[in-house]
Amino acid sequence: MFGGQVQSRPALFVHFHEGIFVDRLLELSSLFLQQLVNGITLGGVYALIAVGYTMVYGVIQLINFAHGEIYMLGAFLAYTLVTVLGLPFFAAFFITIPVCACFGVILDFVAYRPLRKAHRLAALITAIGMSIFLQNLALMIWGSQIKSYPRDILPGLFFRPALSFGDVSLSWLQVFILTVTVVFMAFLHLIIHRTRVGTAMRAISQDKVSSALMGIGVNRVISFTFAIGSAMGGMAGVLVGLYYNAIFPTMGYIAGVKAFAAAVLGGIGSVPGAMLGGGVLGIAEVMGAGYISSEYRDGISYAVMIMVILFKPSGLVGRQIGEKA
Amino acid sequence: MIKSPGAGITHRSMFLGLLFLALLLPWLPMGGFTNYVLRIITTAVLYMILALGLNIVPGFTGLLDLGYVGFYGIGAYTAGLLAIHYDLSFWIIIPLAALNGALWGILLGAPTLRLTGDYFAIVTFGFSELVVLVLRNELWLTRGPMGLPGISPPSLFGHNLVHDWEFFYLALFLLMIILLVVTRLENSRLGRAWFAIREDEIAAQCCGINLIRYKVMAFAISASIGGLGGAFYAKWFKFIHPDMFKFWESILVLCLIVFGGMGSISGTMLGALLLIPLSEILRMVLPQSLFNARYLIYGLVLVLMMRFRPMGLIPFERAQADKALRARRRLAAQEKEE
Amino acid sequence: MKIFGKFDRRIIREGISEGKAIIFRKEGAMKKLFSVLLVAVLFHGIAWAQSIKIPVASPFTGQLASFGEGVKNGALLKGEELNAAGGINGRRVEIILEDELCDPKEAATVATKLASDPGVFIVVGHLCSSATLAALPIYREAKLPAISPASTNVNIGRMSPFYFRNVYKDDFQGLFLAKYVNNMKGFKKVVIFYEVNDYSMGLMLAFMKEAQNLGVKILGTEAYTADTTDFKPQLTKFKMMRPDAIFIPGYAPQGTLIVAQAVSLGMKNVGFFGADGLDDDLMLKNPDAEGLFVTTPFLPDKAGPEAASFVAAFNKKYGKVPNWFAANSYDAVGMAAAAMKAVGQDRIKIRDYLASLNSKEKAYNGVAGKTYFDENGDCLKDAFVKEIRGGKWVSAEKQL
Repeated sequence: MFGGQVQSRPALFVHFHEGIFVDRLLELSSLFLQQLVNGITLGGVYALIAVGYTMVYGVIQLINFAHGEIYMLGAFLAYTLVTVLGLPFFAAFFITIPVCACFGVILDFVAYRPLRKAHRLAALITAIGMSIFLQNLALMIWGSQIKSYPRDILPGLFFRPALSFGDVSLSWLQVFILTVTVVFMAFLHLIIHRTRVGTAMRAISQDKVSSALMGIGVNRVISFTFAIGSAMGGMAGVLVGLYYNAIFPTMGYIAGVKAFAAAVLGGIGSVPGAMLGGGVLGIAEVMGAGYISSEYRDGISYAVMIMVILFKPSGLVGRQIGEKA
Repeated sequence: MIKSPGAGITHRSMFLGLLFLALLLPWLPMGGFTNYVLRIITTAVLYMILALGLNIVPGFTGLLDLGYVGFYGIGAYTAGLLAIHYDLSFWIIIPLAALNGALWGILLGAPTLRLTGDYFAIVTFGFSELVVLVLRNELWLTRGPMGLPGISPPSLFGHNLVHDWEFFYLALFLLMIILLVVTRLENSRLGRAWFAIREDEIAAQCCGINLIRYKVMAFAISASIGGLGGAFYAKWFKFIHPDMFKFWESILVLCLIVFGGMGSISGTMLGALLLIPLSEILRMVLPQSLFNARYLIYGLVLVLMMRFRPMGLIPFERAQADKALRARRRLAAQEKEE
Repeated sequence: MKIFGKFDRRIIREGISEGKAIIFRKEGAMKKLFSVLLVAVLFHGIAWAQSIKIPVASPFTGQLASFGEGVKNGALLKGEELNAAGGINGRRVEIILEDELCDPKEAATVATKLASDPGVFIVVGHLCSSATLAALPIYREAKLPAISPASTNVNIGRMSPFYFRNVYKDDFQGLFLAKYVNNMKGFKKVVIFYEVNDYSMGLMLAFMKEAQNLGVKILGTEAYTADTTDFKPQLTKFKMMRPDAIFIPGYAPQGTLIVAQAVSLGMKNVGFFGADGLDDDLMLKNPDAEGLFVTTPFLPDKAGPEAASFVAAFNKKYGKVPNWFAANSYDAVGMAAAAMKAVGQDRIKIRDYLASLNSKEKAYNGVAGKTYFDENGDCLKDAFVKEIRGGKWVSAEKQL
């Protein structure tokens, strides 16, 4: 590993090799740290999207396949606002979030609400159908070329390293993303545990019928859930569009699958689980790509998903759901 | 309403009529376009086979399999690799590919069929994506993205099948076999157990049906049909590539059975016959810019069908009623003969 | 399990009469659908009976649409020029665009459609190697000659006597790049970041083989899949290896992201280079790509006098300088037209004519150089190098 030729000339040689040894160790650890940084940032993004999946599953036990498309629409919307209407980035960011919330509510109203009483399979199939529909709609509207923001969209500061020690660097953009993620997660936590709506959401996820009997407007709360989840998802879309500077219609599909894997990993139905799952999956993916195999990078998410569902369906945090009652 | 025996068109006679039409198809005067139309219809027949396979799982057991393309790909690559490395005959490859499909169906199904519908769907999806990733990356096995070119065409008594109409008849022949298998299954003890599971699992269990065993069998048979379809695909195209096995294929086949009617055999076939040529018709009719609208329509089909006609075009119950009608006619005819 | 019992035979007889009834009766959505299909297909064939069709098959939508656009523009320009000069033996030339999305299934469908069409005698296409390989057996069965302006995969010419191409092969390109990198740029330690597809991997292998001969060290290789946007894990690995340059044998959409992310990770003094897949204006959007160089089959200023008028006309019509896709497809259409002018509308004769262009003297003199084919249908063409300077593509001062 470190070119070892440990031989007979002790003192000088040992110091020489020690030097190289330490260097190599530093190199390996900064590689590791940099990968960790990459992984945490990626994880934050997955967490933001995963939260949407997990909340919707919690209240109506539906895997909202179209959630990835909301994320994608968020990215495209911000991009369009910036390039076509010439708005500054932050304005676009703050407009996109509520618009995506509306998208989510509309999606629920149009596609899922009519099927509330129907078989689970029907809702799942509808979700898949909506996902396909929205993906191709975006393809038709914006074309399949990868879109990117013009370079001057953010002050150059953002792209420069905020912290760097040795070979490891963390850019301001990454800091921004992580901060936004943490802040909004905390916000979400507050909503779920300190407000009436949040309590209603938790009630519905435990027992829909009893909640209705208690006077909770079930449909309205469900719409609210969709709104929040979609807002976070859309926000993630805008951030990712900026961070990787690549926006294309199929981005929702891939990110959606991975975020769903993260939600399952953390425990579907549990918001802190989604956050944890997101972080863990992001790091696992980056480490896997960096240390094991870059071709199977996407495979890590699939494998994680399958393993968790088979062996610990309640996930890292969540409660026991997934097998037959 | 009991129709008098002998009256009315039943689905079976409608189907036989269409079959007769189909047999004539290559000889209709369409000029040079015969091959193009034949290819489209052959594709539709291939998808009919696939749809019949997929139909077994949600149709007969109520679970959703989102990973069908995995078995399709396994079947195709089994066939392709056997053809290229061992130069086996098509007629040996077909059952081998089907068996391989069944094997993987059992491997996947055994640990997962105890899960609820949603989780099962997700696991099958994950599995099929992993299969495709392996097909793509393991160059030593599958040549990965270089694809497998040069697969030899099927041969019958020493004559290589070369023309489009030959493949068309071959596809029809395979379809007939699968149809036979599936209809006989439907009427067998196995089929009845499956319907019981679909209608009410707990009641079925109470009647002594070993859920897991029957579900795994359904899944294995479904997978083997997928493998068979894949084998035909490989020998027909003579070139396979991982890009030909995307998640989209699973969705497309799902779309066909949703449209036609989950669980109903005639519905499934009708769904394939209508939706597959649709994509080609749209290609001709739509302007270049709306090219991708073709796929959008499939998404819309799923959503609209679930909303407005979730039982599909030919609902499963109607197909059962049809069978009852036929049974009555059979009885009446037998009485007449005595 | 009785299959053909007495009752079943009656059903079959009934079925035949039903079938006849379906054909002749007015009812039935099936019949209507079928007839619509037939009519559409027939109409399609009748409509363009008078003009000479030259179909061009490439991805015009999809991720590689910008490459397809070059092919489209070059072909359309040549079609216009041919018609302005009186067409082929007096008949109008019709360039028909067939979009196959770089997908093997679509390519096979398109190929069948074209092969079935009695008015098609030659095809210009395809672009992606997987699409070409899927279409190849169909053209071979139908004895329909095809010229690919852009498929660089090594197997294509070998596999069919009906497939030709006027672009060089990946093994040549990889070799050329290795030589250039070693002789002209002096890079001694290179890492390769390839996409998991046949084009990229073929290039990588050819490069690696020659690099080994020349003593250029390959420190490591990493892969990415087509839809990836996050390249940081692999790039971080590369960073630790401290290479002189990163070879990106992939396509521009990913290439530009790779460059941007590499720089954001702090890889400052690393060179970037690639091959014809990176030859796209998309790469210019990134200021970090300064100094990136690629091999290309066509360079306007090194291309000779025929090219000058082509470049001017292209610029006039489309407002930009043609890239190599446009130049090659322009030539391919030109060759198709020349073949039809010489031997008429016969698939086999056209194929034989093309095969007869087998030496420098008999070569087709096009804008992208002289094209002549070897016994496999492949051609030897020069490769040029262009690089990004000041946000624009310019020819590298030092060519091999």
